[in-house]
Amino acid sequence: MSITKPTPSRAGPNAVEVMYGSPVYSQVMQFLNKEARLLDHRELRAWSSMLATDLVYTAPVRSTRRVEGFHEEFGSIGHFDDDYNSIMSRIDRLVGTASAWSEDPPSRTRRFVTNVTVHETETPDEYAISSYLLLTRNRADAKDYKQLSAERLDRLRWTGGRFLLFRREILVDQVVLGMPNLAVFL
Amino acid sequence: MLVEGRDKFQKDPVANLIDLENREVSVAALHDRDLYELEMEKIFAKGWLMLGHDSEIPNVGDYVVRLMGEDQVIVARHSDNTVHVSLNVCPHRAMHICISDSGNARAHKCIYHGWAFRPDGSFIGAPIEKEQMHGTIKPKSELGLKKARCQVYGGLIFATWGGEEAMTLEEWMGDMKFYYDMLFKRTDRGLEVLGPPQRLTIDANWKTAGEQSACDGFHTLTLHQSLLDRGAMVGEAGTEHEKAPAMYGVNLSANGHSLRCIPADTSWSLMAKNPQKDLTDEQRLELMPPPGITKELLPQVKKNLTPEQLHVFAKAPPVVGGMFPNVNMLFIFSPFPDGTLGSALVLHTINPKGPDHFEWVTFFFGEKDASPEYKDMMRQAAAQGTGTSGVIEQDDSDTWPHMSESSRGVIGRTETLKYQAILGENRPADWPNKAKVYAGFSKDDCQWEWWVQYHKMMTA
Repeated sequence: MSITKPTPSRAGPNAVEVMYGSPVYSQVMQFLNKEARLLDHRELRAWSSMLATDLVYTAPVRSTRRVEGFHEEFGSIGHFDDDYNSIMSRIDRLVGTASAWSEDPPSRTRRFVTNVTVHETETPDEYAISSYLLLTRNRADAKDYKQLSAERLDRLRWTGGRFLLFRREILVDQVVLGMPNLAVFL
Repeated sequence: MLVEGRDKFQKDPVANLIDLENREVSVAALHDRDLYELEMEKIFAKGWLMLGHDSEIPNVGDYVVRLMGEDQVIVARHSDNTVHVSLNVCPHRAMHICISDSGNARAHKCIYHGWAFRPDGSFIGAPIEKEQMHGTIKPKSELGLKKARCQVYGGLIFATWGGEEAMTLEEWMGDMKFYYDMLFKRTDRGLEVLGPPQRLTIDANWKTAGEQSACDGFHTLTLHQSLLDRGAMVGEAGTEHEKAPAMYGVNLSANGHSLRCIPADTSWSLMAKNPQKDLTDEQRLELMPPPGITKELLPQVKKNLTPEQLHVFAKAPPVVGGMFPNVNMLFIFSPFPDGTLGSALVLHTINPKGPDHFEWVTFFFGEKDASPEYKDMMRQAAAQGTGTSGVIEQDDSDTWPHMSESSRGVIGRTETLKYQAILGENRPADWPNKAKVYAGFSKDDCQWEWWVQYHKMMTA
């Protein structure tokens, strides 16, 4: 396996914000809505076609810190610490075997994606995107939902007439997750 | 009914729940609130508990907040560099002294009324010294934070509320220390955490994960079937391993602690697809160093371990196991999708949160002297295989809540957990005479020993 230094996920302070309602903004929204729909409908292979092969996909653990230590809120260990190959391997396990018990029977999920901001980056055709995610997850006969809210910091690359995701950092709001695993993608 | 009032438990807490003769445990043991409170008193407030690692608090004043049962404790490094474990409860009005998970402080000052304490828990004073706001009845020396007895072993920080009269950590580990040394004391500078731990909540009784940590090899064939299906676990064709890879090995148990050793030959057929026979211990270690050890670190391992320990490493290194009551550990090889062989060193603590919930805390480790690139690899291997999203453990976390739900039915809780697949002690001639040794197909022996230790502490 190869170790690659991931692209910083948050847009820099001087980055130019892409106008709400512009063609690029609309394309980004279409991308985010489409992947939420595919993931909620368990179309994982179709979702994987939206990923770039240099994907870095992480969800750093969070700690409760005093305000003075806030910059150390996120740790070097991740709930996810993945690349394209490992994501594809997870998908193969989930849809390619009859024994991925954590999602068989599967959860019923909804991914609500809002508060989308898009910034230009130093590389033409690459954009830095921040979005809010609310995941509701219901399983078996539970009357309530496991929920997870997060900010997602994405990088999308315009390649051959479509966007591909090549960086996603998921900043989960919980220090102690309320769900027993992340057998679903965020 | 199996479960009655608390008075009844006080006299004989587990007689109705554990059938020693037939090796069965009532499912009611996963449910009852009174039994749970007694477990907190008799096990979590008496035994040695693993809280973290000294690499989390390298500098004077560094601290992390951890759990001993449902009690929060401050694990801190004092000015003399010693590690101390103090109850995170102000002796004044029971406010938490530390309100963040980690940080650095030479003095911990309660935000409520300002009582202040040193990293070793001793009382500094209350504001407005001349008014003596800590009162005149008790001297300052009696107003420190409640202290747990603390011991650092191989960098791991342990503590107990058992006081000085409790057994030492070495006595608590018993014969398993010989094997734990192979994992935690094998290199000159030892292990370090690769970051702060993952934490999540599982809606199940703590004992569902606790007993599984004691060498439940059997569940890998079914619960982890997906790994077999995808070739991440394969057995050598034409041998007993073909249908049941990694099921034949050596399970070890003492005082409820356990480790499961998988023959290196199995790992070779699994990883290298190249079984090698008739090699010396030296050659075996060179060909495939144990998980987490690189060729560069092998000389240290050879220096720090005895020939007996090295023989175990060469023949069948410890791969998974636990420490009673609430530690689960994995020292595993982990193949990456691109075919390269990774390894992961992972410790979990199982922290009870009432009879129906526990907090599952996951620490990732690497050898301090491993290269940064190797540690990056280990961090990724651990996250992809274990913990929150790990493809191995996400199936475990899905199972335990079912067991707790079963215990909520009045009929369900009359069922029993059965530990009747018995291999029996069976030590190979070349295996060290340490701990109870079960060589062969992994059966229920070690998990039953976990319950025997549970029974011993609950009836003590």
